Amino acid sequence: MATDAAALVIETSHLTKIYQNRQIALNDATLAIEPGTVLGLLGPNGAGKTTFLRLVLGLHTPTAGWAKVFGSRMSPNAAALRRRIGYIPTNPQFPKGMTPIVYLDYIGRLFGMPSNSRKPKLAALIRAVDLLPHAGEPIAYFTPGMTARLAVAASLINEPDLLIWDEPTHGLDIEARRSMLELIKRLAADKTLILSSHNLTDVDEVCNHAAVLNKGQLIFQGSLQDLKGRIRKNHYELDIEGDQKSIAKTVQQIKVMKEVGMATLRHRRLEMKLVDDVPNSGVLAMIFQTMSDNKVVLVGMRSVGMQTEQAYLDMVEKEEQRGFTRLYQSAEAA
Amino acid sequence: MDATATPTRIRFNRLLPYWAVLQTDLHQTAHSWVFRLWVLVSLLSAAGYGLYKYGIHHEAGIVQSASMQTGDLLRGVAVASLAFVALLSVSAVSSERATVADAVLCRGISRHQYFLAKWHARTFVVLVTFALLSAVILTGYHYLLDPDLTFSGGIAATAIALAALACVIAWGVTIGALANGTVLAITVFWMILYGTILLCSFLPDPFPSPSYVITQMRIILRGNFDEYRVGRVIAGFLIATCLGAVVGIIGFRRKDV
Repeated sequence: MATDAAALVIETSHLTKIYQNRQIALNDATLAIEPGTVLGLLGPNGAGKTTFLRLVLGLHTPTAGWAKVFGSRMSPNAAALRRRIGYIPTNPQFPKGMTPIVYLDYIGRLFGMPSNSRKPKLAALIRAVDLLPHAGEPIAYFTPGMTARLAVAASLINEPDLLIWDEPTHGLDIEARRSMLELIKRLAADKTLILSSHNLTDVDEVCNHAAVLNKGQLIFQGSLQDLKGRIRKNHYELDIEGDQKSIAKTVQQIKVMKEVGMATLRHRRLEMKLVDDVPNSGVLAMIFQTMSDNKVVLVGMRSVGMQTEQAYLDMVEKEEQRGFTRLYQSAEAA
Repeated sequence: MDATATPTRIRFNRLLPYWAVLQTDLHQTAHSWVFRLWVLVSLLSAAGYGLYKYGIHHEAGIVQSASMQTGDLLRGVAVASLAFVALLSVSAVSSERATVADAVLCRGISRHQYFLAKWHARTFVVLVTFALLSAVILTGYHYLLDPDLTFSGGIAATAIALAALACVIAWGVTIGALANGTVLAITVFWMILYGTILLCSFLPDPFPSPSYVITQMRIILRGNFDEYRVGRVIAGFLIATCLGAVVGIIGFRRKDV
């Protein structure tokens, strides 16, 4: 993802975390994140996403390897580095009895912000996240949407260069989720973001890079386009129009093509799967030519399955099928 | 939601995170049910014991020496307080693990500052409270019972008790910071504390067995004490306190939270 180490926002090398010699949470993760990246950190439950984030934040110490943030080694005492990071944990917890004003003031002081910059900033953030009518109410009575907005405000109070948000849309209703995604898009203009998420639709919408973790192993890092590029592009749905006879004839001709594995017509929607080992563009050109010859009109076409999700699932599936071979391939790569 | 743009960079104050945690913890400790229960139990037991002895002294006519009764009570309050002080000190860090600590330590505060702020807050609250309780007990008993207490004796006895409590707090906060669970940490700390007291009761006279401490406390309260020895005892506790804090800071520096 990157070459110039000095310009990297995050760089990890062989980052490994083993908890109490019992659980390997993260294994040999080497990753580089450039400024301006919006990275979607993907992986099933227990893949090591939160462990990775906590290592980057210095909340955990690595068993082996290292993590650098803004070019300096991250450690539990690296307070100066954390002043440039805004973090939202999966389920943000708030001290009991505090109101949003008191809480944000506390967080501001934890960052070492003096009163003259802290107070105006917290007031602006409370307004920005629509908590002004509830600014004096105890946080204990807040809905999940309100607590999520407060967590966002807390992560932005120190004007961070890097935002690390662990499942920011978790537990939000549709409106709050939409609002969160819009905010992420706006923040992405001048900040580097890492979003850990189970929701691939969210990642697809707001991220430009992805890293996939599976059972503690980093199995992919690159652009979202690269991830989508790994999808098997062989399953399509075509909405077509024309007279019944022409459509039937077209489908028949498509079915006999050796490059087409399966073709089924249901209510003027043609679902087809191409064989894996041929370039799809050439086959699709032949199919379109057949449709044109028979005067069948193409109304719409789409790839079946959500692309990012499909690519992600394929990747995890392939990784699990590799078994012992991954050891030898890693050695060869090294 | 709308993100606000900011034109200038912030100048951070490096000591402010320490003060933030210290102030918040002072407030939280003073409002915790453990603290309130400790103060209430101490006051009620001191008042009950004092009135009982006052009754014997004035109604039955049996002379009750203030130094003897205060020494017994101070020892009793200190030993009973250990349970509460252990709870307060161990829970300082461990009770916040995985919740608030997660939201605090990910900000611009170092582990050193966090540990020091927690330790200082708990020490301040406990020592100030105990000093006030001791002052109330000493003054009350001086007027209620046979007045053989001295001011310097009261100061010296209270100082020894405070030094001992400071040591307990430092090790309590350390154990809480290094343990993986609050219940486990409290159990271990209670066992260490009361196990040490039990073991000390088997020690011969020159060593500080509980009966020896009682006798010495009465003598000190009457003002008959060797300042050098008292100073040495306090210094010993303070060294143990600093040692506990250093172990805590070093251990917590690399602890996963």
